[in-house]
Amino acid sequence: MAADTTPPAAPEDGLVGITIDGRTARVAKGTLVTDASAILGIHIPVYCAHPKMDPVAVCRMCLVHVEKMPKLQPACATPVSEGMVVSTERADVAKTREGVLEFLLLNHPLDCPVCDRGGECDLQDFAFRYGPQASRFPITEKVHFNKAVPLSDRIELDQERCILCWRCTRYYDEITGEKELVLQERGVHTLVNTFEGKPLTSAFQGNLPEICPVGALTNRKYRFKARPWDLQRTKGVCPTCSYGCNINIDSRDFEIKRFASRDNPLVDDMWLCDRGRDSGPSWNNVERIRRPVLRDATGSREVSVSEAVAAAARSLREVRERHGPSSIAVLGSAENTNEEIWLLQRLARTALETPHLDHQLEAFPDIGPEEHALGIAEIEQCAAVIVLGDEPEREAPVLTLRLFKAQTKRGVAIRRVVAQATRSLVGELPAEGLIGLIADETNREHATALAGELSRSHQVRRMTVTRGVNGRGAKDLGMLPNSGPGYTAVDQAGKAGRHILEASAAGLITGLVVMGGSVWSASVTPLLERVAAALEVLVVIDTRPGPLSRAATVLIPGHAIFEKGGTVTNMEGRVQRVRPALPPATQTPSETRILSALAAELGAAGWPGDHLLINRELVTAVPAYARAGNGGRALFEAAVRA
Amino acid sequence: MPLASDTVREITALRVRYPQPRSAILPCLWAVQNELGYLSAEGMEEVAAILDLAPSEVQAVSTFYSMYFAQPAGDHQLLICVNVSCALRGADAIVDHVQSRLGCPSGGTTGDGKFTWESTIECLGACGGAPAMQVNHHFHENLTPDRVDGLLERLRAEPRPSHANGQSVGHVAEALTVKAPSSGPHPPSAETPPAPNAEGPPADTGVSDPAFPAPELPLGEHTEMPGSRSKRSYTKRGSRSAPRKRPRPNAGDL
Repeated sequence: MAADTTPPAAPEDGLVGITIDGRTARVAKGTLVTDASAILGIHIPVYCAHPKMDPVAVCRMCLVHVEKMPKLQPACATPVSEGMVVSTERADVAKTREGVLEFLLLNHPLDCPVCDRGGECDLQDFAFRYGPQASRFPITEKVHFNKAVPLSDRIELDQERCILCWRCTRYYDEITGEKELVLQERGVHTLVNTFEGKPLTSAFQGNLPEICPVGALTNRKYRFKARPWDLQRTKGVCPTCSYGCNINIDSRDFEIKRFASRDNPLVDDMWLCDRGRDSGPSWNNVERIRRPVLRDATGSREVSVSEAVAAAARSLREVRERHGPSSIAVLGSAENTNEEIWLLQRLARTALETPHLDHQLEAFPDIGPEEHALGIAEIEQCAAVIVLGDEPEREAPVLTLRLFKAQTKRGVAIRRVVAQATRSLVGELPAEGLIGLIADETNREHATALAGELSRSHQVRRMTVTRGVNGRGAKDLGMLPNSGPGYTAVDQAGKAGRHILEASAAGLITGLVVMGGSVWSASVTPLLERVAAALEVLVVIDTRPGPLSRAATVLIPGHAIFEKGGTVTNMEGRVQRVRPALPPATQTPSETRILSALAAELGAAGWPGDHLLINRELVTAVPAYARAGNGGRALFEAAVRA
Repeated sequence: MPLASDTVREITALRVRYPQPRSAILPCLWAVQNELGYLSAEGMEEVAAILDLAPSEVQAVSTFYSMYFAQPAGDHQLLICVNVSCALRGADAIVDHVQSRLGCPSGGTTGDGKFTWESTIECLGACGGAPAMQVNHHFHENLTPDRVDGLLERLRAEPRPSHANGQSVGHVAEALTVKAPSSGPHPPSAETPPAPNAEGPPADTGVSDPAFPAPELPLGEHTEMPGSRSKRSYTKRGSRSAPRKRPRPNAGDL
């Protein structure tokens, strides 16, 4: 349809042209004026509009002038049409913004100096930029509401500061579906509340203070801890699970003050779970290993790191000479970065020449990349998604939000079935389209069987929730007894994690190198006591003390995941950078440098110690990681069975 | 305390009357309030469960409207209109009078549990008989302090009205329009204020005033669906016999 407004030279590209403040762009059909203005670099203030939620246009902050429309239009709810001419600079728009702000500030308390949001508050910023600067309403006539109302042990609500943008209620409606928060009462008495004032139970409450455009909803664990302008912000990856949510690590005074979300539409879609969000500040109080220690029959003493590395190499060489290379085993963990894993498996395979290496306790026979074929964002493109048991969503909670989005906004059929569900229990599936199958790592054998059955009639792609922030990377890079880097075959399959420990306790393995073992050691403490008693040499590189570090003959401190650089791979294979946000809690060098020094002492000189150099070596050896780059997915073609 | 089986049946029936169960919240809440006298948390939870909604959504609706009670109310519920027409006709004096007589502030319940009264409600739509108030879903118009006294006296002796229980949903609206069938062809209508020096006892012009001999209409049973316009419901209500036009005052009367 060629309306009169269509410019004569509108290209047939399926896009629509828009002019905002004299700048023109061609954008996809259905784009909202606010999004088009963002493309053009023109700022339109919004409160109720949120990029992840449907528009409601209740705050009226984004009113702009659209040519040939009689009244100002809400930019957040107006889709672009061909030839639309928008103005945000006219006097009537400015006057409306002043009016809206004066109205929003009518009963808003002037407590910015003690408000957690001060400094990163949209109300502050827009009032400063677009506001009338003075109110015609006397300050003594403000209507007061309750302050600091606890909504749960995590969230506090300041009813005076609320500007009723509905973002939190829509979040519970559209994003989590839990519908815990609603607007109660009417008019000036309207307030955000739960049913009967019951505490929130959601596992995603921490997102509320982030979506709140003002300081009404605040995080009780962060309350009065820091001011935004004092915080140092570092991009990172949440270290709690294998989902790989992108975060900003906000730190101050060598302490992590909070984890804030960092939108990656392919992974977290800007939402974090409370478990992950709370994990950051809890690191501030963790007991750390700070100095290298040598321990023998006569007792223990603190040494320099080079002395510790030399002692470790010497004792490992002695063990190899006495009992042979297969009397040594190497254990990593799912919290090591890819670069550390790369050096550690190389240390085991080439320097120590042992087949016994693993990063976890459970054995993973017949492991292959087809278990991780389905990407997180691809869930939305599936016709149906089967979730086996509640373990996947318990392990990676943000997965729940992606499933809910796929279900409500993309019409994907979500089937939650028991972990051991058979084909008949899954029920009817859409004949056409992709079927997603999500299972936990502990249930992979059953998932393999079910996927085999389903793939006879459907196109199936699997997602396996791995354990630990880099459990996937450890598998990709061959920190496994039965699979080499890139799922290549190995000459001789070694012992898996638990078997290594049992063999150590039985005296079959006499030298053990453990890096980051405090992650899995808590579950096997009695076994570890027997291991420690039986071993001749126990080299431990770790951040936190545990049963292993207390028994180590050589103990070397490690750096926590946000104290070092490197990459980690999430469960779908997305390779993401981690960066040092804090100085390390120890004066020793990072694990990669320690491993390269240890290799040099063992006779393999010239290994890189810098994580960027290791990464260069790693991507040369594993092409999937070269293709993934930073932020892409490592996709392996096919499994090569060991 | 779970809802009575009648109420549950009513809510279940209401659910299917709307394309979206959400739309049934209002009438379902009336059913709960008619049974319990207020909206209890359990009642709202039960409504939410039957309508397959979150309890928070039900409470959001219930708090938006001022005629749902969140607390157990007194036996008789007085809502005094203070909007423009009533205010111009002296509603403030009525409010002050009721407050001094009952001894509790607006929104409160008397100590003996007899009355709950409120003055902050929106327009009752009885502007023609201002000042007006609604007592247990019945209108009382052209109020004066004396009449209020008489009304309170009468209500004090009465138990909690029985029609509050088991009354079908939607008939609140009917209650507001129902005419007493016994009132004859020319009843004292709401639109005609009584002459100032009228003889006899001052009669409220309320349409279903208990003072009328046959006002005990089992509201709802004699009508069809709310809003029904069938002939049957009209005639049963007695609307046919009601005057079509307001009697025109003679020039000599003025």
